[in-house]
Amino acid sequence: MTLLSLQNLQKDFGKMRAVDDVSLDIAGNEFFALLGASGSGKTTLLRMLAGFELPSAGRILLDGRDIAQIPPNKRPVNLMFQSYALFPHMSVAKNIAYGLEMEHLPRAEIRSRVGDILETIQLSALANRKPDQLSGGQRQRVALARALVKRPRLLLLDEPLGALDKKLRGDMQLELKRIQADFGITFIVVTHDQEEALVMADRIAILKDGALLQVGTPHDIYEHPTSRFAADFIGVMNFFPVHSDGTILRADDGTQIAAPIPPGLTGAAIAAIRPERLHLDGYASENALTARVTALAYHGLDLQLHVETPLSPRPVILRLTADQAESRAPRPGDTVTLGWSARDTRVFPA
Amino acid sequence: MRDRRPLYLMTPALGWLTAFMVVPCLLILGLAFFRRGLYGGIEYTLTWENIRLVFDPLYAGIFLKSAWIAGLSALIAVVLGYAAAYAIAAMPRRHQPLLLFFAVLPFWSNYLVRTYAWIVLLNREGLIVHLARLLGFEGELPSMLYTETAVVVGLVYNYLPFVILACYAPLSRLNPEVSEASRDLGAGGWTTFRRVVLPMTVPGIATGFTFVFVLSIGNFVTPALLGGGQFQMIGNLVYAQFLTANDWPFGAALSIFLIAIMMGLLTLQTFASEKASGGRNA
Repeated sequence: MTLLSLQNLQKDFGKMRAVDDVSLDIAGNEFFALLGASGSGKTTLLRMLAGFELPSAGRILLDGRDIAQIPPNKRPVNLMFQSYALFPHMSVAKNIAYGLEMEHLPRAEIRSRVGDILETIQLSALANRKPDQLSGGQRQRVALARALVKRPRLLLLDEPLGALDKKLRGDMQLELKRIQADFGITFIVVTHDQEEALVMADRIAILKDGALLQVGTPHDIYEHPTSRFAADFIGVMNFFPVHSDGTILRADDGTQIAAPIPPGLTGAAIAAIRPERLHLDGYASENALTARVTALAYHGLDLQLHVETPLSPRPVILRLTADQAESRAPRPGDTVTLGWSARDTRVFPA
Repeated sequence: MRDRRPLYLMTPALGWLTAFMVVPCLLILGLAFFRRGLYGGIEYTLTWENIRLVFDPLYAGIFLKSAWIAGLSALIAVVLGYAAAYAIAAMPRRHQPLLLFFAVLPFWSNYLVRTYAWIVLLNREGLIVHLARLLGFEGELPSMLYTETAVVVGLVYNYLPFVILACYAPLSRLNPEVSEASRDLGAGGWTTFRRVVLPMTVPGIATGFTFVFVLSIGNFVTPALLGGGQFQMIGNLVYAQFLTANDWPFGAALSIFLIAIMMGLLTLQTFASEKASGGRNA
């Protein structure tokens, strides 16, 4: 069921168009990610949902009701700020109770709800601490609890894990997903971290220059990017400049590349292939290419191979699993034969 | 071995303070326990008489009166100054320095000139009375000059820039997301101000209040010019003891109590700001 419906939403700051004709439906109980680089309009979009910016045009329907003009303190939507924005003069418990006090709930109910959520985020022992006596990870959980305790229809999270170190970020990605499922609240996360979006979200929207570029599941977005930008933005991608005559793709040096060509695509084009779709058994593949290994990068779980090919001025990256690497790890300077299949190749207009 | 250079760098300032601040204070302290000579000099016999006299209802009353005037001035200055600082901090960032400059501008002119200006404004034939007449106010107007009100007006006016600066600092440092968070959690504008903005800017208010209070309670120029000798504040009393009554020991005793009150307040304010900022480097 659709919970939130954005219809031709637009926001201008003077001559600058921050959000450009965004239409999007988000279902109840969905974990949705708005993914984009800085300046892509994702934070402006979020601030319109929270009520801190008025749309220049378009509608924001929550449960079918247009909330675009409703002030932030009157919408069933809460925002977890990037800076966390905890109240420094209040204890953890007071911070969390604040939003419930604004609803004029009975004291006993406030106390029990604050107690419950402190347990959920495992900070009961620190209820009387002030925010500056907490670690970054603890502050992040307090900010989450403070917004969650209001049981909003929609919880917005602005770069929720941006300030955490890498290890903690990994743990919190799963923790956020678990909390979202437990509470049954729709989450919209703004992030510039594509890995974070892939791990957490049920669906991802890629924003570029204020407009939606692609919306889909993480699998869709990763495996079937619809644009060169999306292909480049998500994960690692190898690109080869090619030329299409409508039926056959050729690289600049004449090598023929087997790939599904989008209908009607002729002229200069770009072929793209993921590092993990390349292998070293080139002779048995639809596409084969002789290449020279220039560098090895060990990543623990896998081994990244940088190889030089006649097809591309940039080094091509190839990912071998630990098993593959153990049985036959090439060394820098070795000549190898790359192979990949036609169906793993994506072709975009140049 | 520890680097001793910082100590050397401190020496000139320490020397200066010792010679011209600590030593005079100690001299004043000592003076308070001697007897006044018959013809104004000092008789070097120890006595508690001067200290006892400070608590005489006549003089204690002047202390209380001064504290009342200073407190009232500080309160009014804080209300006006905080509002002004709030408005400045809410302006676009690039305009703020200029607005602050204008707010502080009067401060760079001479204190006496500024105070005399109020005589021009407040006297029986002054600007304010003329304005009242223009607005159709008939009959005899009470003179505003040489009243308690005039003194408070003068003190507030003179020290307002201090309060604006003191309150502007924490207001401009406030993370706007904190106010937004309060709105997001369901609070209206006034509740957000009362429960979030105000408590977070208490250190500025405390600093502003203490400054105005301390500077006002010992002030003798404004009460003399705008109070017109109608009443004395503690500063005038000290002035008179040293320069007209020639009773240096009693003047010294009064000074000590005045200094003690100021020091107490400043210490209190320091602790209050420390506590309010929760040890943060706010």
